[in-house]
Formats: sequence, C-alpha cells, structure tokens
Amino acid sequence: MLSEIVAQYTSEPTGYGAELTPGNFLARDAAKQFDSLSFDLPNAENPIDFLNTYTDVKSDNDNLIKLAHGTTTLAFKYAGGVVVAVDSRATQGSVIASQSVKKVIEINPYLLGTMAGGAADCFFWERELGRRCRLYELRNKERISVAAASKLLANMVYSYKGMGLSMGTMVSGWDKTGPNLFYVDNDGTRLKGNLFSVGSGATFAYGVLDTGYDHEMNKADAIDLGKRSIYHATHRDAYSGGYVRIYHINKEGWEFISLTDVDELHWQYADESRNRGA
Amino acid sequence: MDARIDLNNIGFDFDLTKRNAGLEANGATAPKATKTGTTIVGLLFKDGLVLGADTRATEGPIVADKNCEKIHYIAPNMYCCGAGTAADTEFTTNMISSQMELHRMSTGRESRVVTAMTLLKQYLFRHQGHISAALVLGGFDVTGPHLYTIYPHGSTDKLPYVTMGSGSLAAMSIFESRWRSDMERQEAIDLVKDAIEAGIFNDLGSGSNVDVCVIEKGKVDYLRNYARPNERAQKEQSYKFPRGTTAVLKTSIRDLVQVTEDTAMDIST
Amino acid sequence: MHVRPSTHPTSQAKEAAFSPYEDHGGTNLAIAGPDYCLLASDTRQSNGYNINTRFAPKTFKLSNKSVLATAGCQPDCAMVTTRVKQSMLTYKHNHNKEMSTSAIAQMLSIMLYQRRFFPYYDFNILGGLDEDGKGCVYSYDAVGSYERVPCSAFGSASALIQPFLDNQVRNKNQLGKPKVTEFEPVTPLPLAEALRICKDSFTSATERDIYTGDYLQIFIITREGVEEQIHELKKD
Repeated sequence: MLSEIVAQYTSEPTGYGAELTPGNFLARDAAKQFDSLSFDLPNAENPIDFLNTYTDVKSDNDNLIKLAHGTTTLAFKYAGGVVVAVDSRATQGSVIASQSVKKVIEINPYLLGTMAGGAADCFFWERELGRRCRLYELRNKERISVAAASKLLANMVYSYKGMGLSMGTMVSGWDKTGPNLFYVDNDGTRLKGNLFSVGSGATFAYGVLDTGYDHEMNKADAIDLGKRSIYHATHRDAYSGGYVRIYHINKEGWEFISLTDVDELHWQYADESRNRGA
Repeated sequence: MDARIDLNNIGFDFDLTKRNAGLEANGATAPKATKTGTTIVGLLFKDGLVLGADTRATEGPIVADKNCEKIHYIAPNMYCCGAGTAADTEFTTNMISSQMELHRMSTGRESRVVTAMTLLKQYLFRHQGHISAALVLGGFDVTGPHLYTIYPHGSTDKLPYVTMGSGSLAAMSIFESRWRSDMERQEAIDLVKDAIEAGIFNDLGSGSNVDVCVIEKGKVDYLRNYARPNERAQKEQSYKFPRGTTAVLKTSIRDLVQVTEDTAMDIST
Repeated sequence: MHVRPSTHPTSQAKEAAFSPYEDHGGTNLAIAGPDYCLLASDTRQSNGYNINTRFAPKTFKLSNKSVLATAGCQPDCAMVTTRVKQSMLTYKHNHNKEMSTSAIAQMLSIMLYQRRFFPYYDFNILGGLDEDGKGCVYSYDAVGSYERVPCSAFGSASALIQPFLDNQVRNKNQLGKPKVTEFEPVTPLPLAEALRICKDSFTSATERDIYTGDYLQIFIITREGVEEQIHELKKD
C-alpha cells in the first residue's frame, strides 16, 4: 500500500511536453515551462484588433493598459570601435514610469543590444536572443557574429509581425570581422550601418551626432559626442530623460564607461557655453 | 417689416453640439467639467420640508472640492439642490433666482414654488438636456410646502420625498424604509441626514459632509455642515521644509525706488 | 498557440461588444529599506461609482521573504497570484528550498510576458528581502517589464502618491538632504519613518482619490518574517 503511494510521487523526472498528471506533477520543473516559446491569445475573432483596442501600441492613445516605453538611444562606429549611448527614462502614457531603466542589454561580453519601444518587448526578446547566442556558442565552439545575432533577433520578431510588438533596437559588438552595428525593429527591418539613433528623441540626437561626427576622432571625443547627443535629445524630447549611460566596444569586448545625471550635464554644458561667450 | 417667418431658422441652434460631437469622434477631447456626482434629497414633514446634500465635487476620479455647497438660494422662501455639472447647476439656479427677484419686484408678492419650477423646466427643455442640471426644488409659499424634482431634459415630479444624483438609490433606500407622513421636525432632519450619509458612504461620487436646509412657513434654517462624519485623520508627522531646501540658481535684487541726493523740495508756497 | 478556429459562416461576422477588462481601483505602495521591506494597500474594491466590497485584500504573502501586491482587474490579479503561488510550490517540491525573491521576480516577468497578446490587466509590485537580507521592491508593467526600485506606488492614486514618495523617500528636490540616486536599491529610511510616510500617503490619497479608502493593509517583511497590520481609512 505504502509502496504504491511512494511510487506515485517518485516517478522518473519527466521532460518538457510530458502529460500533466497528479503522478508526475511534482516532478515537473517550473523552468521547463519556458523551454519553447508560446503565448496565450485572446479568444476573439481577431486577436490583433483586440490587442490594439486594449493596449497602447503607440504611446499617445488613451487606452486601458499603459505599457512602459523606452526612448532615445544611439550607437555609432568610429576608428576606435563602437560607442553606445542611451537615456534612462520609461513612460507609460504621459507618466514617467522610471528614470532608471537600463536600456543597454548585455547579451554576452562581446554583444550589446539597446532598447527603444516597448520595454517588455525589448527586454524579453533580447534576453531570448542572449539564450540563443549562448546555445550557438556551445554548439559551434565559437562566438556568434554580430550579423548572425542580429539576424536571429530580426527573424524572431518577424514571425510576430503585425501582432503589435514594439521594438527598435541596435545590436552592436565585435567579432572576427571587426566592429559591427545593426539596426533591427519590430517590422523585421534589419540594416547594417555606421551610425543609428532610435526612439522619439532620435531626431534631436541625430542633429548633434551628425554635426560632431568624425570617423577618425579619439575615444574620449567619441564618448563625449555620444553623451552630448543624448543630453540634447533629453532636453528637447519630453519622453527622454534621466541619466546618460555610455558603453564602448573594442576588440576586447564591451566596456561600461559612465552613467551621468542629465541635470549634471545641463549645468556643465551651460558653464561651458558661458565660458566660451566670455 | 417682413412678417414671414423662416421656418428653418426658428428655435435653438444645436449646430455646435453636432460639430463638437464630430470633433470628439475624430479624436479631439473636450475640456473636463467639474461634476457634482452627488447625493441630494428632499422630504416633506408636518410643518414644511427639509432639503439635504453632500459636499463632494469631483473631476473624474479626483475630489475637486471636499466641502462645496450644493443647496442653492432661489428666493427667501425657496432653495434648490443641484446635481450634475457644477457650473450648469450654479448658473441655472442663479439665473432663475434673479428672475424670481425681478418677478417679486414687479408683482409685490412672495414667490411661488410652481413659478420657479416652471421657469426651470422650460429653460432645461429648451436646451434639450445639454444643460446637465438635475435639481431638487423646495419652498414654502402661500399655497403651502412644495417639493419638486426637475430632470435635465425638463421633466418634473411633485412628490413627498425625493432623491437625485449618483447616490439617489442609496438615499432612496433610507426614505423608502423610514419615511412617514407628518413627521416631526427633528425626525425629518435626522432622516435626511441618514439618507445623505447613505449616499456619502455607499456612492463614490458623494462624500464629506451633510448640508441641511429646513424650510417652514416664514422661516428658513440653512444648516451648513449639519453633520461632519468624515474628519481627516491626524497626520503622522510634519512635512515642513527647512529654509534652504529649494536650490537657488541666481539672485537679482532690483531697486523699486530711486534715491537721489538733493535738497528737500520746498512745498510751502 | 491557443487560437479558436473561426466558426462564423460569413466574413462580416461582428464581434460582440464585450470587454474582458474592468478597473477595480485601489492603490499599492512599497518601500525597501536596509533590513526591511514594507508593502501597503487599501482594501476597497470598486466598480464605477459603486463599492463592491470594503475589504478585498489584494496583497498576498508568498513566503516568509516575499509579498506580492496587485492592482487592476481583480480576476486577473487573483489569477496571477494563484499561478505564482503554484509555481513556487512546484519549485519547492523540486528543489527542496524556498524560491528567492529575485527568482520570483524573474518568473513573474516571464509569466506576464506569456500573455503579451492578451495582457493581464494587473499592475504588480513584488516586495521582500533579497539574498543579503536587504529589502527589495520590484515594480512591473502589465506585460512583464520590471525593475528593482527603492520605492513604488501603483494603482488609482499612484499619481498622487509617487511624487510624494520621490520627495520624501528619495529626497528629490530637497537640497541639504542626502542624495538618493535612481540606482540605489534601498532607501536609508528607518522602518518607523517609512511607516509614518506610508500611512500619511494613504490618508492623503483617501482624501482626494474616490477609489482609495476603507482599510489600509500593511505588510512588514523583516528577518523575523512577515507582520501584517490593518488600519482604518475614511469610508466616504
């Protein structure tokens, strides 16, 4: 009798996809639920219309569920590598949800992703990208190239095209071919380039960035340019703000450079222009 | 003079109403008005009538005024509770009040409740419900005590006990269970207070205090904040900021008068 | 994917105007301290101008180290809580240990993202103690974007309370007070002061937000475990 009960609760560990019965319930690993991606859909005639009715795909409409959005990000290649600079504000509608978002995602020691658009979308898919890059490394005994990594991400979100994902990201890193920079978004667009800025404050950032950009500049100037571009975007775009976070990539991989309050930068730049005027 | 009437141009023009509805359908948002999501009541008793109201005014989910006045003056022998858009009830009752005063001046007689009621219902009907005022009108005139409800579209009821506003059901439950004809004065006031408190506690649009107005023959008692069942809790600590909490970015001092060195002017001549 | 195949005979079939979401109001607040975590919520559940009940707790103890506060649509909140508790139990049976607060935080994020295309109308705050015994607060959006913060307010009165917390807990715009940066995981406040700020937040929010009121439920998580307090709020 007792052995029957014991047997019931000591079945062999079952893997993913095993039938869920009272017998093997306890042996089920919670982590295994997330082995392969699957999403629940509303039981509606058109799930996508449904989603668009109840959530704010674009941050300006007044729908019921406000999702956190990210905002000004930029990355550019130059002679010394890649500079990645982002702000840290998240907004839900007109409310500032956070001033301390980490919009640079460290995929692995040689790869960085940035987030603009839906915070959860960026975070989830770039985390998933990190997992797949690690699997690639284990299978092939070498690091994934930036081109391949960005394509993995583009293909993943492309399969959900039109379903309301919101993501504008730059995948950057150093591989066999040197520094690389790709832009990937929720439409499935994937572009290779030297200089990108993404988010609602991007136009402001581009203005400063294009004016000050020089491929042959040194590391300190490149970092300062990234910082200035983000600062000016936060100054003019209400959906950007908080802190400027800077990363630098060279052949040793990425390196975290600085995290600066934009308020501090504001007074610092104000002093500079006053001194220049005097 | 041209005596013909252009039939297309008589009455009120609601073109702007249609225009606004069209604009809103295209995504424009109209400015928000302060609503008195309200409990207002009135009842007749042996010697007259009692009006009652809560004192909360809201703007959407936010309390705009914690202690507003919803019992409006119409005439010395007549008061009117208002529910709906605060500005509409305020201006409608004000306007009728001045019409009643002019009417008294020209007739030399005390105002009658039916007169005010008729003016109100005609005015509201003319505007087809676009003036959002739901009223409880009460007064004591030569023909005795009268109590009316007036709906935003202009319909009226004459009843011995009435409630209006978002808390009307909560208040009516009290009246339906406890109202009797020929109640004593204090009994009537207590019943009104209980009805308003039912609205205050069970309807989120109503809150704070109870205002009561007792109207009898030749006598009005306006009992502002007759009951205060919702005093604010004591704060746990003080939030006074010490001097110097606010950053000073720049200081500039200007002389408002100019002091010049000179001999005093001689004003003796 | 769980999609119901269309059974409508015509392509013009109209969907009935049914909304699966309802806002039940209510407010949550959380403050993380050096050795404590404090979560508070009012217990009013409302629908439009009606009060469904004056005592509907929406903050739940998950373990001796973690508490989950939910706000939004009650059925969605209940579902999320149930699923978190289930998974924690399964985890405990599988690994013979309690799930850490940071592990619950990551799991909750994935659970919420699972419903990316049919979100739970539920705004969560997860509070507790981390592996070092420090207080921790994780705040979420509806589809799983989350962040560790020193303090947070969510729900119908969040716009009233959050600026107050920014000023009093994170010392924002207060010259002469020690600066608490955005990236500090905990506030330096002693528990007694955090409690006072918490109570004042709720009595003040009750004054001006019609959806907040009735009772205040406070959970205090320390090394000793979880203490629960109930206080009265105004009922109008």
